[in-house]
This record gives sequence, structure tokens and C-alpha cells, in this order.
Amino acid sequence: MIDKMTHDERLEQLMNRLAESVLGLSDEAALAETSEVGADPEQEAERTRFVLRQASKALDNVTERLSNLGHTINSNGWRGGRWGHHFHSTCQTCGSFVSFTPATGEMRGEALDGQCPESGQFAIPRREASRK
Amino acid sequence: MAHLLPYPESPAPPLPPPRSINASPKSALLVENDQSLLSFLRRSLEDDGYAVRTAANSEEGLRLYRDCGPFNVVLIDYCVPPNYGFGIDYLAPLQKHGIGLAMAIRQIHPLQGIIITALAYRDAREVPRPLELMHIPLLVDISNFQLRSLLEKIEVERAIEALTSSELLRLRQFAEFRVRGLGRAARGRTGEDLLQEALMRTLIGAEDLQKGRHWNKDVDFVGHLTGAMQSISNHWKRQFKETEAYLISEFPVRDAEGQEQSPLDNVASEHAAADQRLIEQDEKDRVLTTFKDDPEATQILQDFLDGLKKSEIKSRYGLDERKYAATMKRIRVKLLGRRNGGGQGEKHDR
Repeated sequence: MIDKMTHDERLEQLMNRLAESVLGLSDEAALAETSEVGADPEQEAERTRFVLRQASKALDNVTERLSNLGHTINSNGWRGGRWGHHFHSTCQTCGSFVSFTPATGEMRGEALDGQCPESGQFAIPRREASRK
Repeated sequence: MAHLLPYPESPAPPLPPPRSINASPKSALLVENDQSLLSFLRRSLEDDGYAVRTAANSEEGLRLYRDCGPFNVVLIDYCVPPNYGFGIDYLAPLQKHGIGLAMAIRQIHPLQGIIITALAYRDAREVPRPLELMHIPLLVDISNFQLRSLLEKIEVERAIEALTSSELLRLRQFAEFRVRGLGRAARGRTGEDLLQEALMRTLIGAEDLQKGRHWNKDVDFVGHLTGAMQSISNHWKRQFKETEAYLISEFPVRDAEGQEQSPLDNVASEHAAADQRLIEQDEKDRVLTTFKDDPEATQILQDFLDGLKKSEIKSRYGLDERKYAATMKRIRVKLLGRRNGGGQGEKHDR
């Protein structure tokens, strides 16, 4: 079976084995290895946390922007782009397209061009104070 | 403003684990005076595995928070009255005591996950709130499962903040090696891209890979993210292979007279193209060349390439666990150093 593997598959197997080996490292070893690579472990760790926060923030920003324009996006309706760098969705009310890139926060699509043309269609009068 | 809660003056300590609800791993405080909504939200939270404490007014809510907080999440009704014990206050719904309570709780624990329920409004833009709470999640529609999405997001954000330095470094290195294993299929993506993609799919939260990956809380967050990265990188690889086959088979082939040949003539070979094989061979050789002065590392890498298990490699060369671990460490440090331009070899050029 191994003989039939391409160079590409073998290299992938090698790197995946190295990736798995990282998961078994103790806390001390993980910190020490980063130092040995020549990087500051705390800085590298916080940079990684920032990368995660950045993705979450990008989703918040695009959601807020669309909400301000009156578009309705199903929070579970985002789909990953074929080549992974961006996510896209459509307004449930008017069907206009929007995409954003988590790494850069860049947003694109006709949904950002203006107010949702259908946003007033299902307007419900504010029920402030009537509920209590 | 007279009824708004006073802000505590003490400095904010870091967010410790919840003190009072020990039986459940997840806890929620629900501050709501409408009984039907209280029952509905309580049931939704309990269905999601939360142990729920409830309060019917903002003062009781703050007292409960001080006694039992922090919680995994606090749900506060935007219009909750200040105190229900002294009869009905007809002005209370207009006075936004939920906002006062949210600000008081944020003063105690700035990182406390809070959701304001503002069902009296049809969308979030209409809910007046101070600048400090402008980004707080608002529940304005109970019918489309918005609550579950908000709870999931708060859980994920809490988990990100709770990651230790070593966990973050392991995640980063895992991502780097997985992307490196993709070779050309990475298409310029980095380990950070893979990590962000894993988080995005978690936040999207659907169970289908194309849409997202729900975080099953039986698995810890690091385990979840590494599983997601593994699955996403495999998916990227499959996509790359599918596209390559598509491009080759779609390439129009005509004979000398301009007639299109049989589509079967265009079926791609199952063997990689010669130029592609050379690129892959080159990358494999470059990795091995990096360790030309380290025979143990070369042996282990060659055995990885041949698909041998750890136990087989150890017995083959008589390596004990300590020596094996030390060699693995040298390999990781050198490859990551090379990737980061750390001067421990040539810089990897993808």
C-alpha cells in the first residue's frame, strides 16, 4: 500500500505525524520548543489568541453591518468559499449576496451596497412597554 | 436614572470558575420578570445543559450574581423592573434596568458573557444602549433559534480566553504542520488561515462540514479545534484533487481536422503528472536534506514517509522513549525554525 503512495501523499503523512506529535507535548515542552525556534512563547501564544479573536470579531462586524442595513442573515447560513479564504451568505429577505474574509475582515457583495429593499415588508410595530 | 443600580467600585478580578452551581459544568443566570418568557428561556437553557438560577428583578439579579457568579452566561431582560417586591411599578418597563444590571455585572467581571433579551423590539438597531454595551449580544427573536447561536458564541469566546499559552502554541504548531502537509493543495493558505477557518466553522455551528462544525462540549476546545483543522485540511486536499482532475478532463482536445476526440481520451491518468511528481519529490528531498547531519532524524523521517508506526521505528533502531522524543523535538524545531526564517536552515518556499 505504501509503495503505491505518491511523494505528495508520503509528505502529507510525514507532516501529519509531526502535527499529531505536537498534541502530546507537555506544557513546558511546548513553551520550550517555541523558545528554541527563536520566538517568544508568550508573544506567539497571544498572537494565536488574537488570530482566533480576529475571526470572531470579523463575524460580529459583518453581522452588525448587515443588521444596520436591514438585511436578515441566518447565523447558521454562512458557507465557506471553495478555496477557504472567505465565507458567503445571502439575505433571507432580499436574496442579495455578501461575503467576508476572517483574516482581513474584508467584506464584499451587493448586500453592502445599501438598505435591504424588502426590510420594511415584514415590519412589526415596536411593542415597547406593551408586554409588561 | 434614579432606579439604576449603583456601579461597584472595586477593580475587576479575572473571571474564575462559577462557585455555586457545581453539579453542572455550565451555569446561567436568568433575570426575567415575565413568567411565560422565564419558563421558556429556562427550559431552552436547561435543554442546552445549563444549570439555571433565576431572578425576577434587577436587584435580586445583582445579589445572585454577587453570591453565585460568575456564570457561563447571564441573560437579562432589557426591561426588567428594579424590585418586584413592593408592588407593580408601572414605570419600570420604560426604565431599562436590564442595561443598568448588565453594566453593573460588567464592572464586577468585564469578561462575563451577557445576553440582553429585548423581545419588545423587532431588531437590534432599535434597542437604545450605552456605548459600552454596543457590542453586547441582543436576543430580539426567539422564534429562529437565535438564542442557541448566541449561547454557542459566548461559550466559544469564553473558551478562547481560557486557552493557556501552551495550548495556543500546540494549536499553532499543529496548524502549521497540517498546512505544510498539504503541499500545493494549500494554495497559499497558512496555519493561521486553517486555525481561523476552524474557528469560523465552529461559530457557524452547523454540523455539516460545508457549513460548519458544532462544538460538542464532551470534547475539550483544543481537541475540538484540532479535529476541525484535521477535517478541514483533508477537505482542502480533496477539493484540490477534484479540481485538478476536472481541469485536465475539461481541456478541449481536437484532432488535426478540428474534430473533438472521445471524452474518454481526456480522462486524467491516476498517476500524477511528471512535473508535479518532480515538485513533490523536490519538497520531500528538501525536508530530508535539512537533516543530512542528523542520522537519527533522517531515519525517523524516512520511516514516517514509509508509513511505519512509532513502536516499529523505536524497535528498529533501538530508540528508547527519551531518545525518540528528543529526536522528534529536533525535527519539529528545525522545520518550524526553517519555516519561520529562524536561521536553522533554508527558508521554506511554497
